[in-house]
Amino acid sequence: MLAAKIISQLQKIAGKEAVLTAKEDLNAYSYDSTATWAHLPDVVVLPTTTEQVSQILKLANESKIPVTPRGAGTNLSGGSIPIKGGIVLCTTRMNKILDINKTNLTATVEPGVVLQDFNIALAKEGLFYPPDPQSFLGCTIGGTVAENAGGPYCLKYGVTKQYVIGLEVVLADGYIMKLGGVTVKNRTGYELMMLFTGSEGTLGIITKIILRLVPLPPASKTMMAVFDDMAVGGQAVSNILASGVVPAKVEFVDNFIIRRIEEMTPMGLPVDAKALLLLLADGSPAAVEAESAQIVDILKKSGAKEVKVAKDANEAAMYWKMRSAGFAATFGAAHTVMAEDVAVPRDKLAEFIRKLDEISQRTGFFISYLGHAGDGNLHPSIFTDIRNKEEFARAQKAMEEIFDTALSLGGVLSGEHGIGLEKQRFLKRAMDPVALDIMKKVKGMLDPNNILNPGKIWEEEA
Amino acid sequence: MAEAKKDRYEQVKRFEGDLSQCMKCGFCTFWCPVYQEERIESSVARGKNMMIRGLLAGELDYTKEYADRLNKCTLCMTCTANCPAKANIPNVIVAARADTVKARGLKFPYNIIYRWLLPRRTLFGNVVRFASWFQGIFLPKTEGTIRHLSMFLSALGKGRNIPQIAPRFLRQMVPVVNKPLAGVDTKMRVGYFTGCMTDFVLPELGKHIIDFLARNGVEVVVPRGQGCCGAPVFLGAGDFDTGRKMADTNVRAFAGLDYVVTDCATCTSALKDYAKFLADTPERREAYTRFGEKVKDISQFLVDVLKLPASAYQPSAEARGKKVTWHDPCHLGRHLGITSQPRQIIKSIPDVQYVEMPNADRCCGMAGTFSIYYYDLAKQIADKKVEAIKSTGADIVVSSCPGCEIQLIDSIVRNKVPVKVMHIMELLA
Repeated sequence: MLAAKIISQLQKIAGKEAVLTAKEDLNAYSYDSTATWAHLPDVVVLPTTTEQVSQILKLANESKIPVTPRGAGTNLSGGSIPIKGGIVLCTTRMNKILDINKTNLTATVEPGVVLQDFNIALAKEGLFYPPDPQSFLGCTIGGTVAENAGGPYCLKYGVTKQYVIGLEVVLADGYIMKLGGVTVKNRTGYELMMLFTGSEGTLGIITKIILRLVPLPPASKTMMAVFDDMAVGGQAVSNILASGVVPAKVEFVDNFIIRRIEEMTPMGLPVDAKALLLLLADGSPAAVEAESAQIVDILKKSGAKEVKVAKDANEAAMYWKMRSAGFAATFGAAHTVMAEDVAVPRDKLAEFIRKLDEISQRTGFFISYLGHAGDGNLHPSIFTDIRNKEEFARAQKAMEEIFDTALSLGGVLSGEHGIGLEKQRFLKRAMDPVALDIMKKVKGMLDPNNILNPGKIWEEEA
Repeated sequence: MAEAKKDRYEQVKRFEGDLSQCMKCGFCTFWCPVYQEERIESSVARGKNMMIRGLLAGELDYTKEYADRLNKCTLCMTCTANCPAKANIPNVIVAARADTVKARGLKFPYNIIYRWLLPRRTLFGNVVRFASWFQGIFLPKTEGTIRHLSMFLSALGKGRNIPQIAPRFLRQMVPVVNKPLAGVDTKMRVGYFTGCMTDFVLPELGKHIIDFLARNGVEVVVPRGQGCCGAPVFLGAGDFDTGRKMADTNVRAFAGLDYVVTDCATCTSALKDYAKFLADTPERREAYTRFGEKVKDISQFLVDVLKLPASAYQPSAEARGKKVTWHDPCHLGRHLGITSQPRQIIKSIPDVQYVEMPNADRCCGMAGTFSIYYYDLAKQIADKKVEAIKSTGADIVVSSCPGCEIQLIDSIVRNKVPVKVMHIMELLA
């Protein structure tokens, strides 16, 4: 419990109506989109200006109160859960698009702008912001920067960090720092912006973001390929990339997810397919024609049982909606779903899939997966029940094997979700110990009182 | 003790499937009209559902705040329509409202209005009439209009610029049985559910609908025994006991009729919801289900049941030569899936130009009780609707829900937009 004095100071800073203390409201800020983590904050504050954020942090820093930054809470790492209580600083009301500059191909936004709202506004100007975590309907841009999020489009267009060219960040002591600017090139000192991009809210609170944009591709084509064997599908992806074509997206769903989605929203999917690849070619109409023909050809030669090209925008939208519903489909499947986010080098995808099969057989756990086949980023899920201690322990063990396998293939622990709470117990084996030590020192320097999102990324020493 | 505990969550337990269906993805934040204004988690389906789970887990209680967060939902169903897991959280919310009323009771003046006044149609009419004498004294001083007739008394205090209470109610204007005109064959005999708004405020609309049906070979019965549909009572306030009394009254009033035709989307969907929420015995389930199947929205009845030819739809004097746009009431579109029938009717009218508005199915923010409790919020939601209407350049916006119409009139007047609000049947001669 925080002292009443702190609450009234927060109210003075942000306004009475922007400070939530009712138990019912605190409950609503105790979770994110992960299955197992939850912790109540003591208070939720919804600032509307950078100045307010600065004053809140100053107060928290002086009183050593934990501050957990939160956007829309759609994250999949436990990152926005106030695991130490204290203040949840929620940026959803800082949601103004401050500038869209069509000639400079940049935009300036507040952190609470919802990704989909942003892209709707950009589309009106013929512009496009590609990084597309599949929570785009809910997630805030601030959250995607703090998590350095990625999504299907990142295969061709790159992840969030490739678009951030300027930031305004409030430091733990309340200082408002400006980094970068509105130029695409900027070689002024260390790239400190990248320190905050992907910092998971542990180093500062992002209050303004300048993003690079691209022109909206005038044409696109969606293709769907059916495979009898997941590994063959994985190989087909490698073959496409090796042929010199980089599709905008190459996504992957397995038989389990196909069936679950068809159950929830019947759309005529091939429910007996072992795996589906969804691909998108985009660009000028001529390039899209040529590339999609080449992709279809390689898919067939690589052993696809069936290849379909979406006739129109509606059919295409239906396939992509299926993909974005994929996570929800797995989350409903069992009491506890451990959904992971490993990434392997793209040429190791087929091998990784085969090894996942072996793990599944050896441990007896069914493993479902979907993900971004084009960039080797898969989301394997293990279905279990946290209430059954013995089974849950075995499931965790199986998940460990998945991590180890990915790492042994030259992969990483998390492709796009971040470490948060969910993956911190594996961090040590996935990172150079000196690099980990430097991270902790950076944290200690920027946030000496450890108030910013404490308890995240690495395990605390007992 | 165990029994008492179960009772505390009786209604919510019936919707446990919906309750557990939410995966917390948060996509509903994009669609929820309330969240879009407030941007706090307790406004949206995910947050409310988690709050109800918190209650079941014993972490929360039936507090004033709990009741408030539950009430702050328009039941527009946009979350469910767009949910990847198709989780019907509005079901859970209505059920949770019912459990909350059981646990906390209804507060004044709602207890008087819901339990005592609304179930008594004649008395209710007299009170409305009595209140109308004071309309001129209390109301025009502030902007805005009354939200729902059932809220009339409490709303008086807040002061609103409401449509006039009719000098004569519909039940005083028309006989029980309205036969087709001489020379027109009687194709069908249907009951007409008038709803409070049409009865007390828009009797001319009711008269017009009866005449239109009679001209097209339908004998229209207006049972005197019918009452309020109960939407504000059981859906809005969660008072299932009183709701059941009202349901029984209406089922009895329309016994022996093949169809129950309505002109109000909210009434239509509430009448059809009796079985889902109010059936506490096998007999009631059976009776409510059969009753619900008989209920038809007017546009659905004209297009799907009566199957009128396009030539039956001739423009009224007010509609002739006008540009018309359609607002989908949530209770018609998402609740009942009726979206093509009204559009088909409007498009069939000669000398009327139809124009689709952007996001025609977006909630107008009325939602009965909701807009009494949260008037400012309801206004903000409505302002987005007004922008959409403005962008069409239409002369007339039509709907099929007097509730929506009141909200549209209020917001259009407040925003000084020169657009007329009409019921779809008023487009027809």
